[in-house]
Amino acid sequence: MYRTYWIAWGGLLALTVTMVVLDQTPLPRSTFIALMLGAMLVKAGVILGYFMHLRFERWALVAAVVLGLPINAAILYVLIAPDALRIFDMMAAP
Amino acid sequence: MAVETLVRPLPHHPPATSPATTEVTLPLPLGAAWRKTMMWAFIITDGLLFAGFLASYGYARLMAVRWPPQQEVFSVAYLAAMTFVLITSSATMACAVEAARAGRWNAVTRLVGLTIAGGATFLGMQAYEWWHVIGEGATLTRNSWGDASFGSYFFLLTGFHGTHVLTGLIVLAVTAGHTAHRASSAEGVEVAGLYWHFVDLVWVFIFTLFYLV
Repeated sequence: MYRTYWIAWGGLLALTVTMVVLDQTPLPRSTFIALMLGAMLVKAGVILGYFMHLRFERWALVAAVVLGLPINAAILYVLIAPDALRIFDMMAAP
Repeated sequence: MAVETLVRPLPHHPPATSPATTEVTLPLPLGAAWRKTMMWAFIITDGLLFAGFLASYGYARLMAVRWPPQQEVFSVAYLAAMTFVLITSSATMACAVEAARAGRWNAVTRLVGLTIAGGATFLGMQAYEWWHVIGEGATLTRNSWGDASFGSYFFLLTGFHGTHVLTGLIVLAVTAGHTAHRASSAEGVEVAGLYWHFVDLVWVFIFTLFYLV
């Protein structure tokens, strides 16, 4: 009955090892970042879906987490942008 | 729509023959029991806290004159070992939740105990990492590797995460105490498990965005 969790554990472990190996491999920066972010999202999906049982929950709860959280985080990121990027201008000023 | 009674006796307290309380039934908006729904609400808001930190870190990184290459400061193998410990503790916790649903309380106590051991090991490893970084002269405002904000974000991100691990250990210790005395419900173990997996989830983001990318 624990089989699913240990398969998920194996998957997470394999992804972590892959990420560490890629970290030691010379790769173009953009490829490296894309691979890392992809692996990160897959790992997050495995934890949410299997360990946190989100796969077996009602759609409303799944949407609140899988859509609500990233949308709110994206808004947060955009809202900080004007202030964060203004510092570039301040640094450029004499 | 799923309906659940709000007044539910714990397994070791048999229901009184004439309950003093009136049973009220309410529809459950997300189809999950209330405690679980509230834990998810907490996880979403706490997730936003970390999203804010990571967004701020992202901009600091963009603005940094020289962001130190992580391999100069940290051992990736050591970080991978920390990740392994935390993922394993998450797996044992998932098994504990499954055992609680099956009513195998001895197994639950044992598995929660293993989860606590994993969490404590992770926290110890993090303490050693802090000791090492502080030993190299890093503070919140300066460090010898590069941009001054590197130290701030290292202590902020790993510190907040470590605090969550510590909180999780307290929650798990209380849960283990309850399950050992058969005083917990399967839902109680599940809610504690959700929090523990969330701590693991946050680490996945910190490990990738702060230590690797």
